[in-house]
Amino acid sequence: MYKWFAAKRILKGVAIYAIIIFLLSALFNTVSETTQRSQIEEQIRLEQTKLKNLLPAQLMAFQAERRASLIKQYKLDRPFIERIVFRTIDILTLNFGKSMNIKSSKGERDVASIVGETIPRSLILFSVAAAINIALGIFLGLKQAQRPGGKLDRTTSLVTMIVYGMPVWWLAMIIIMFFVYTLKLFPSGGIHSVPTPTGIMYFLDMVWHIILPLFTLIVLGFWGTSYVTRNIVLGILQEDYIMAARARGIPENKVLFGHTMRTAAPPLMTMAILGLLGSIGGAIVFEGIFSWPGLGNLYWIAVQQNDVPVLLADLAITVGLYQMGLILLDLIYGFLDPRIKVGGKA
Amino acid sequence: MKIKDFSRALAEFWTEFRKSASGLIGLGILVVSLLVVIFEPIILPWRDANTKWRNIDYWIDNSAGAPPAWTNLFAKEKKAVTTRLESPGRVESDMEGGGKLVTLTFPYSFTADRAPLDLIFRATINGDVPVTVNVDRPDGTSIELASHFEQGLSNQGIRVTVNNEAKDSTFAFVKQFLSDETLSSMSSGTLEPANIVFSRADAAMAGKFAALKGDYKLVVKAMVFDTANSSIADPFFVVSGSASGILGTDDMKRDVFSGLLAGLKWALLIGIMTSAISVIVGVLYGITSAYFGGVVDSVMQFIYQVVSSMPLLPVLIVVSAIFKPSIWFIVMVMVLFFWTGSVMTVRSMALQLKEETYIEAAKALGSNNRRIIFRHMLPILIPYSFASMALSVPSAIVYESTVSLLGLGDATIVTWGQILHDAMAGGAVLNGVWWWIIPPGLLIAVMGMTFAFLGFAMDKILHPKLQTR
Repeated sequence: MYKWFAAKRILKGVAIYAIIIFLLSALFNTVSETTQRSQIEEQIRLEQTKLKNLLPAQLMAFQAERRASLIKQYKLDRPFIERIVFRTIDILTLNFGKSMNIKSSKGERDVASIVGETIPRSLILFSVAAAINIALGIFLGLKQAQRPGGKLDRTTSLVTMIVYGMPVWWLAMIIIMFFVYTLKLFPSGGIHSVPTPTGIMYFLDMVWHIILPLFTLIVLGFWGTSYVTRNIVLGILQEDYIMAARARGIPENKVLFGHTMRTAAPPLMTMAILGLLGSIGGAIVFEGIFSWPGLGNLYWIAVQQNDVPVLLADLAITVGLYQMGLILLDLIYGFLDPRIKVGGKA
Repeated sequence: MKIKDFSRALAEFWTEFRKSASGLIGLGILVVSLLVVIFEPIILPWRDANTKWRNIDYWIDNSAGAPPAWTNLFAKEKKAVTTRLESPGRVESDMEGGGKLVTLTFPYSFTADRAPLDLIFRATINGDVPVTVNVDRPDGTSIELASHFEQGLSNQGIRVTVNNEAKDSTFAFVKQFLSDETLSSMSSGTLEPANIVFSRADAAMAGKFAALKGDYKLVVKAMVFDTANSSIADPFFVVSGSASGILGTDDMKRDVFSGLLAGLKWALLIGIMTSAISVIVGVLYGITSAYFGGVVDSVMQFIYQVVSSMPLLPVLIVVSAIFKPSIWFIVMVMVLFFWTGSVMTVRSMALQLKEETYIEAAKALGSNNRRIIFRHMLPILIPYSFASMALSVPSAIVYESTVSLLGLGDATIVTWGQILHDAMAGGAVLNGVWWWIIPPGLLIAVMGMTFAFLGFAMDKILHPKLQTR
């Protein structure tokens, strides 16, 4: 049963992703075609320099012929809808073409590898931050729900509201200003020192670099988790079966972690993963402040250098990761909530 | 009857709302910010900050990167604060051989330990009016700083800066006090005239600056030969100090406080407009989806899923980078994503609501769908969306600032995000120019907090299960 549910959900996710990419391809059609044409011209110029002893007429003929064949090769001569469909297929098969200026760390101009090498760096930062945030948030939320209206509950709720609209990148700026330039404790950014140390030092160097961004993400991150946990758990604690469990004399901790947490698990999981996705979608600019060379930093670079292919590929990958997260979310939810597995109504 | 119902509901809501201290604080801040927006033209220190934010000429008299004036309270060496000396004492006397001599006296009391960076005289002149700028110092000496003459002006502004035009005259002044030996190592080119004007006049004045505190008089003499066709109007002095205003100045000499004030209305507008439109759209969408059910519901749910599985910020960044949109376009794109926020809750509530007997009765009485949705379902469901309306304001503000931070904002307006972008680009983090970085972000955070206070307070009233026992 769960297999079917999972297969259905994955297929649906893929379909939605394809639709989104199709829409985005249509939206950015003009700009990506302009870029493609200018890249074709660049390539023709490059080939031209290799030719020698050509008459002007021959040169013109060569240019025209090459241009026609390249336009045909890139399918720029097809009707509008067809071009968008082809571009959608290109993106779905990770065929992003070449960048304008940006190079990968190996010096390639292949967009797929430029974007590809940033993914693990982003994932490391955000998944570690999310794990810590979730652990802290759930712990704090449970404590809050145990004594609603108590001192801890009130202060935590207050802080949650105070940091609610605080941009994480602004906090990052302040933290860099204080810890990096005033106290001179941490590096201003990047993932490794230059030159990069080897062996155990490689790892320690990375930890040294990750501390500040991680700290920033955590300081702002777990409040929201704790608030939602509190609300979910508070709602469940008012259910009759909890009262019954307490009446049977089951110890409070067991009621909290056994009975309450089991029911709260699906929504808590949803919230936790949504939080992680939110950070992929939301705190992405934050990487730029720390020059953490991930997906988010790539947006900064691509925007500054006006590198359209990289920008669009970055977007496609970010949307893809987001989509994967949503699928994962539903799969876990289905796993935790038996009602969904058997196809009943939630 | 309807208004009575409404006011009773409002009164009920208010009695509940009043109990929440944070809600009241939020409401208070919101009211204050709205008042500030309304009275902005009066409060704004630089009147044209809205329109001339990117106009270098407008800010030229300020000093660049000056810390706020109040930092003097904590500093050992007090800095001169940028001040504008207006409405001088004006004496007109007849000159021999016709014409008038207009003497403008600007009193300035100098109490700081560090001299101003520059003294700038500005006036609007019509015709041919030569002016001389003099200073009477507290120790009785006076310096004729500069004389300035531009021919044939027609109500044009003149700008006399002591730093540029008084190098020779201040050098001549210095010469009286220094030995030939020290003088030989100096030249008028390297002199800082503003320092000399405010320095103690003794043999040590070539070395470290020692302030001569007291009451100065800046005297401008304008010779109006042809009284019929020549005139001098709107004279004022700018003492350009190394500390400035409530929140200092940035690298481009702009007054940070003015920029923040100008950005407030945009933050409120962006936040409230985005959330209000998107919540209304979302509520209508949810109700329609639930009310009609069947195929309509399935299609609408699928569209909802497609939109809600797109991450807003990356799309917004790329759209802004490629289309260089105006602020209205950015708001529109945000609405396109934000409406999904309230759909699911509203839909599930509407699903219950449509089975109610009074809806059935309305149907039996022959009401059409539109009437049922707008008259019977919407009024009940809208209040529940107020909380989510308030809670989505901060994200709209943060998203706009984020796009602006990348330098992709609307360049015709001033927003907090754009100020932060300039600060990033100007190396404010590196140089520790905190008055350029902390206030704009703090305001974004305070706005977020305000609407969070309001939203959470409403949330508690509307969803009683969350109330603390």
